[in-house]
Amino acid sequence: MVLLTVENISKKFGRNSVLRDVSFEMDQNMLYGIVGENGSGKTTLLKVIVGEWKPDRGSVSLTGRLGYCPQQTLLFSHLTVDEHFSYFAAAYRIDRVTLASRSNDLMDFFNFRKFRNEKVYELSGGTMQKLNLSLALLPQPDLLVLDEPYNGFDWDTYVHFWEYTGKLKKAGCSILVVAHLITEKERFDKVFNLVQGRLT
Amino acid sequence: MNLHRIITGIMMILKMVFRRRIVIIALLIIPIVFLTIVELTAPVRIIPFRLASLGNMIFINRPLKDIALVFFSVTSSGFLSSLLALNLVQIEIGVNRRLVICGYSPFEILLSNLLALSVLIISIALYVALLVSRFLSISHFMAFIAGLILIGFVYGCYGLATGSLIRGKLEGIFFIVMLANIDAGWLQNPMYYAEAHNNIIIRYLPAYFPSQSAIIAAFTDFSAIPARFYSILYGIGFLIMALFIYYNKMRIRK
Repeated sequence: MVLLTVENISKKFGRNSVLRDVSFEMDQNMLYGIVGENGSGKTTLLKVIVGEWKPDRGSVSLTGRLGYCPQQTLLFSHLTVDEHFSYFAAAYRIDRVTLASRSNDLMDFFNFRKFRNEKVYELSGGTMQKLNLSLALLPQPDLLVLDEPYNGFDWDTYVHFWEYTGKLKKAGCSILVVAHLITEKERFDKVFNLVQGRLT
Repeated sequence: MNLHRIITGIMMILKMVFRRRIVIIALLIIPIVFLTIVELTAPVRIIPFRLASLGNMIFINRPLKDIALVFFSVTSSGFLSSLLALNLVQIEIGVNRRLVICGYSPFEILLSNLLALSVLIISIALYVALLVSRFLSISHFMAFIAGLILIGFVYGCYGLATGSLIRGKLEGIFFIVMLANIDAGWLQNPMYYAEAHNNIIIRYLPAYFPSQSAIIAAFTDFSAIPARFYSILYGIGFLIMALFIYYNKMRIRK
């Protein structure tokens, strides 16, 4: 089953063409990577896929639930870890019982449960990144879109991240990872290169 | 529109506001500073003045100090509400955008902000009214509080519209301070208004109806209902503008 179809996407900022006729499809149970140098249009492509930006041309069609982990740790600095889970659960329409079990699982898996009552401004960069990722995983998405997900991870978290990704894939989730550097290409079903706005 | 999301939003916004100590300190201190300076500097000479919304034949005789105290309580309520609203809309825009991607609608987020802001506006109005009542006797205390709530509503909605329109924090603050200073802090002063040429222009500014409503309640037994009604209309105008801009800025293309 096709989860994501990206068709002839083009996007310009002023005279600068950032994306040129980008097309690809993603099926269920797939792990795709998109690599490219800084400024090659990776984040722009993700923002178009999640609907944050409108393409100048082309279309995106997505079936199923989307989980999106942005490159920046987009979190409320004065809310605690637990409060973030509650706030995002309201957005995803997740009930309290499900929220409690999923948030506990995620905090245990990424080993940051002890910080659940800490405010974000009191957390380390790595823990913020874990929370940032966990919020994308909370709805148990069909398609998980990750922008530079392992920036700021320590080795243990990096290993855990791939372990969790494997679990998700087995459960039928597809994952799209965008990074400027992908070292373990064998983990991916397909890796695209984004060069000057074109996928190769 | 989902009630659970809106209630969650309000609770979270209020938690964030009350955890920023500097905001609470500013809310508590600014009105005290304004009113204390007026108390220490304003003359006590009694002067007759007219209120624009009561017609030309009605004169009110009050000490200049009383007029200044009431006027500055209106100014500080409007200014604080506006700054808070600007802050609510601007400060966490990236995370709010993420919430929209995750399922919140931009309307739900703006409505949560407005309702959380309403709680703050009412608290500010009560606090300022209690403070000013230490310095002078207010004729109709509840109606005076209503006037302060209305200036908070009008200027709060102006803050939401400004925050939705302008991305930069400094530029946003500049717009708030400029209008609050010129309109609420200067032109609506009954002393200035009475002598102003073309004072019809002043009647179209956002602080006109709320300040008339508060001053009528503070010093007279006349009805302030028309002034209240037009204040609400003015606030709704800003609110519609804010909703339109915010929705267009935050919506995602599904």
